[in-house]
Amino acid sequence: MKYFQRALMACLLALLGGCGDKAVDSSQPAASASKVQGTIGVSLLTLDNPFFKVIGDSITAEGKKHGYETVVVSGDKDVAKQGNQIKDFIVKKVSAIVLSPCDSKSIIPVIQEANAAGIPVFTVDIPCNEPGVKIVTQIATDNEGGGREAGQAMIEALGEAGGKIAVLHFKQAESCQLRVKGFMEVIRAHNAGGKSKIDVVTELESGAAKDLGYKAAEDALQAHPDLRGIFAINDPAALGARAALEKASKTQVLIIGFDGQPEGKQAIKDGKIYADPIQFPDQMGVRMVDAILRHSKGETLPAQMLIPTRLYRKSDAQKDPTLH
Amino acid sequence: MPEPMKPARWLADYGMILVLVLLCAFFSAVTYSEQSPTGEAAAGQVVEAVLKAVPNGARVLVVASDQPGDAVFAARVERDLKAAGAQVLASVTGEPRNAREALQKIQAAGGSLNAVAATRVAGGWRVFTDLASDFPSLGSPRMITPASYRWPHFLKSENLLNIANQIAVIAIVAIGMTLVIITGGIDLSVGSLIALSAVLAAGFIRDRAGGVSASTGGMVLGCLLAILVCGAVGGFSGLMITRFAIPPFIVTLAMMLVGSGLAYILAQGQSIYQIPDSFVWLGRGADLFGLPNAVVLLLVLYALAQVLMSRMKLGRYLYAVGGNAEAARLSGVPVRRVLLFAYVASGLLAGLGGVIMASQLKSGSPTYGNMYELYVIAAVVVGGTSLSGGEGRMLGTLTGAFTIAVIQNGMNLTNVESYTQKVVLGLVILGAVLLDKLRQGRWAR
Repeated sequence: MKYFQRALMACLLALLGGCGDKAVDSSQPAASASKVQGTIGVSLLTLDNPFFKVIGDSITAEGKKHGYETVVVSGDKDVAKQGNQIKDFIVKKVSAIVLSPCDSKSIIPVIQEANAAGIPVFTVDIPCNEPGVKIVTQIATDNEGGGREAGQAMIEALGEAGGKIAVLHFKQAESCQLRVKGFMEVIRAHNAGGKSKIDVVTELESGAAKDLGYKAAEDALQAHPDLRGIFAINDPAALGARAALEKASKTQVLIIGFDGQPEGKQAIKDGKIYADPIQFPDQMGVRMVDAILRHSKGETLPAQMLIPTRLYRKSDAQKDPTLH
Repeated sequence: MPEPMKPARWLADYGMILVLVLLCAFFSAVTYSEQSPTGEAAAGQVVEAVLKAVPNGARVLVVASDQPGDAVFAARVERDLKAAGAQVLASVTGEPRNAREALQKIQAAGGSLNAVAATRVAGGWRVFTDLASDFPSLGSPRMITPASYRWPHFLKSENLLNIANQIAVIAIVAIGMTLVIITGGIDLSVGSLIALSAVLAAGFIRDRAGGVSASTGGMVLGCLLAILVCGAVGGFSGLMITRFAIPPFIVTLAMMLVGSGLAYILAQGQSIYQIPDSFVWLGRGADLFGLPNAVVLLLVLYALAQVLMSRMKLGRYLYAVGGNAEAARLSGVPVRRVLLFAYVASGLLAGLGGVIMASQLKSGSPTYGNMYELYVIAAVVVGGTSLSGGEGRMLGTLTGAFTIAVIQNGMNLTNVESYTQKVVLGLVILGAVLLDKLRQGRWAR
């Protein structure tokens, strides 16, 4: 045992030996862009969804241009896991923390820890507007505006006749609540003025995922065989709904999705989804690195920066070189 | 006391500790990197360097971020520079924005600047790296920051406590799992019970104990209630297994679904956060020698479990039941009661884990504990407990839990991407168990 302890002490001493130089460097204030400026720690809701993957990749690429090293980890929708990741970032003393909270309430104490450690915290896509936490800025899609675009697309898709539609929701996410809010606003305005009434007959939980979107759409078709349209709050839910329509041979039902992921865009090109308000996750990454730089330069940033969506129809998809 | 152990025996029993030590050494080596000192010592260095660079009447801006120790740094630098006759134009503690405002003020007053005395973190802000182009009229001030030293991030005391705190929930739940696995069973419901317990505790405090103004008594009551409910669920599983001879895998799989569903129903799918600030005492407080309370609890529980397994009749019975239930029954071991005890204990400890998690995150949510049963089982198995029952050690489980925590923490510190982390963790679990088999000389059997 003694031998073992001695060996351990020797190891520790060897490690200690490497530190303790007492010089003070005084560099000239010359602009230096090439040297590593620090690390950006990014913890996203999940990396299963291409949307977040693109955000992570674009922060990494853009950060590299400005001399930052970037670590992207996935919270896997598990707030305890995300909390540990943030704590590890704090220990590493990263220059900035970017996160999309897995749970905006439960993550509060962890953000407070980062605040206390003097590390600036930024949120992307999912906000954390809670009292007692300091967030430099929140960058997200203008979801409510996107929802309004989706509403307009639905009116355009159904045309003169109007009819019954279903909404595939994902109520846990504030972003999706905003999408549906914007959507309903436009539909209500349309119904108040127009003759062809659009009737939202059901609002089902889609889990923002293909499998649950599939089930929800199947159930909606059972309850309302004369359904004419579906608004799904994201592409996976929309694609799940499409699969249900194909199974039931009801492909005349029109789907409006949201996101503009590659698979969703392809489906628009193939006529499987009518249109998507598309988001720009790559721009979110670029704007995020810009925000980190501006904060580090001492600028005051707005509490929220919204990136507008754009309605993407079949005609856009046909011109899109990334699709085949 | 047992006879003194020979090294070979010691290694055979606690070989996993060696793996853990090796892992720690590895991560220490790869996270060996520059640290940014702050506080008194760093201040002394910086003052000395400023006076050396600009000996007479230096015009200095002092800047620190708002990290712990930075306020001390700024105050000390300002005081010492003034005492030495230098002119401190401004002393800033805060964000880059505050530094820019100070620079703008100095520029507006038409003054020049000889030096910026900053902590390393503040010195790295863009507002200073682009100083020459953004504030040309200030002259060319020298940037003076304290010397960095090199030390592994991994071995910093805050990180080591961080690891212990991160694994507390899994390690505590793993005690119960070890009991169950030693009896030859399995408990898949623990992850769901963590969520159920967190939701019950937080929900009770919000709805019955007065929400954010709840008293300590109310909070303790809520936590006890949550733990007892989880113990009852464990008891129910135990009864199903002992009375109706349903395999533990099936029973606890069913209870996993029931527990998770109940948690979602009780919380209505939302996280419950209307609880007092003082609720974080258990999960984030550190009263004893700076050790986090959850870690103290963890150590106490492991000590108790170790005593149970090695010194008490019940411990012997647990091994006997797992080794051969029929033989145990014939030699007079109350097999059913022993099994029931294991599942109740597992439920209670999962409940305690849920309470700790709720306290760490100051809220209860039905999404907690997802997949935790697998991490807990991994900790137990990596710790050398056999899934076929009859053997295993509490200290082994503790080592297993820490091995997993160290790997996860180490990979986060060394910028390993999430997907790769899963692959590595899986391989390490497999490797650890293989190594264990090899060490016991059972490879070829």
